[in-house]
Amino acid sequence: MFIQIVHLSIDLENFQLRDINLDCDQGDYVVIIGPTGSGKSVILETLAGFYKPDEGKIILEDKDITNVPPEKRNMSIVYQDYVLFPHMSVYDNIAYGLKKRILDKRLIEKEVKAIASLLKIEHLLHRLPVTLSGGEAQRTAIARALVVKPRLLLMDEPFSALDVKIKEELRHLVKTAIKRYQTTTIHVTHDLDDVWDLATKVVVMREGEILQVGPPEHIFANPVNSFVADFVGTNTLKCKIIDRKNNLTLLETGENIKLYSKDQGMPGKEVIVSIRPEHILVSSEPIFGYALNTFCGMIAKTRVQGQLVWLTLNIEGLSLKAVLTANAYEMLKLDKKTKVFISIKTSDVRITAPKH
Amino acid sequence: MSVSFKNICIVISILFTLILFIAISSLFVVPNPHDVIGALKSPEMIYSLKLSVITALIATTGAMFIAIPVGYALSRFSFRGKNIVKSILDLPMAFPELVLGLALLLLFGNTAIGKALEAMGIEVVFTKTGIVVAQFFTGLPYAVRIICSTFNGINPRYELVSRSLGYGEFETFKNVTLPLAKSGIFASAIITFARCVGAFGAVLILAGGSYMKTEILPITLYLNISYGNIGMAISSGIVLIVVSFLAIATFEWFEKGNVYSNCSFKH
Repeated sequence: MFIQIVHLSIDLENFQLRDINLDCDQGDYVVIIGPTGSGKSVILETLAGFYKPDEGKIILEDKDITNVPPEKRNMSIVYQDYVLFPHMSVYDNIAYGLKKRILDKRLIEKEVKAIASLLKIEHLLHRLPVTLSGGEAQRTAIARALVVKPRLLLMDEPFSALDVKIKEELRHLVKTAIKRYQTTTIHVTHDLDDVWDLATKVVVMREGEILQVGPPEHIFANPVNSFVADFVGTNTLKCKIIDRKNNLTLLETGENIKLYSKDQGMPGKEVIVSIRPEHILVSSEPIFGYALNTFCGMIAKTRVQGQLVWLTLNIEGLSLKAVLTANAYEMLKLDKKTKVFISIKTSDVRITAPKH
Repeated sequence: MSVSFKNICIVISILFTLILFIAISSLFVVPNPHDVIGALKSPEMIYSLKLSVITALIATTGAMFIAIPVGYALSRFSFRGKNIVKSILDLPMAFPELVLGLALLLLFGNTAIGKALEAMGIEVVFTKTGIVVAQFFTGLPYAVRIICSTFNGINPRYELVSRSLGYGEFETFKNVTLPLAKSGIFASAIITFARCVGAFGAVLILAGGSYMKTEILPITLYLNISYGNIGMAISSGIVLIVVSFLAIATFEWFEKGNVYSNCSFKH
């Protein structure tokens, strides 16, 4: 294991982390996601050595680094608000960490120019941070962090202050740069797109606690409870288990709609069922071959987001979110308030833990 | 309604400033210019001005050397007794200067500290060193205050980033914090200097106000008022005002480049 956080607890004036356990392999891109105030940033700053944990250990490559000062950890940090040194040029900002490690000025220049060209900021090197746009400033901050080849790159909502287009561009650049420098990364965000685009591992946090850890597909498909499901955009339905036969569980929602699931459950129990929006099939004609879980409903709302169209479906009072590509949406000639046929595979109806 | 309230505030500001301005300018208008020029050229005035500037410069330098680490500690670290340290450091600001002088006189006169210093050949009481010491203690709280708020205004994340890039605490302070605090430290030095030049009560008690020996500008003013030598007194008043004015002008000039100067009559 490359880095291990073991039973980490910390009590700051207005914030607590409770018993955090997290492992991470070399080359992992870990995205910690959770609402504001869930303690994501505190984990990063504790990893970097700015806070001393009250309990627990941080182990990097089998060495306990819990009491090692920040300057000896070789972990770089990138903040949402860039935190570029205002009295230094872009060049000096990027070169700052190198100057501590390398004496040869030409070598420093070579390294700075290499990363600047990778992040497309070589034309800005002489400028002062105050003259940069948000995207340029963040690329500078990422360059400054990566150029020292940190053992761990820590990013605290690095794209939150940027607008959508620049965000996408920067995500792509970061992906390339991190691949090139083979950096293990822990990235804190509340933006799901960061998870889709970058994560190899996802950590969901709430109020100083880790709720779920796993690969993104796993978290999205099997949220451990309704909070995680809500947060990652999954439909969550409160259901009662009615019956169990032929390896199928029959569920009933509060709206008296019956659903079949391949997951197991005890009849009579109240459970939370999660269904991914992309697992809901929407069609203007009855769908052949889906005998179970086929419904007739209406489109209550549509929302276009880039190449995706989010639909809010209404099945006799039950509201479900579904997502289609813009093309598929076009081809189906769906419109608001039209009648649609809705199908869900029994294997996509997931039973999760009882509601908290 | 807000317009009339705005006008009332502006009128009060202007009226008060006017009264203050008349009071200050009467210093320049009332006396006979010949007397003033004569007094300015007198050996006593030249001595006093020189001594004032030299002692205030030394006291200010000393105060800055203490205020920077103290201000940094108060701004960045939490430690036991921090609030007590803060309150005690602020005390001399609210203290009557005379009482501060008396306290210093007792400290350097009668205690082990005073005796130890005396054994080392450093005499504080009724000496020029005493002037520096009195000015230092008068100016220090202001220096600490301004420097502490300067450090408070610097996002600690600059330091965290510097440390994560491999620099230790002191290197980070030197490379990042100090350059960012530069203008605040400068402002603090100016204010402290002005305060040191104007220090009177503490200097009078600790250094004694002896003619042409421990005589600084406020003492010149005081001594000459007591002799009825109005020309000399007013001249030293003028010199003091010019020094303060220069300090304030420098301060204002510096503040222009800073975000927190937003008290203007723009709207």
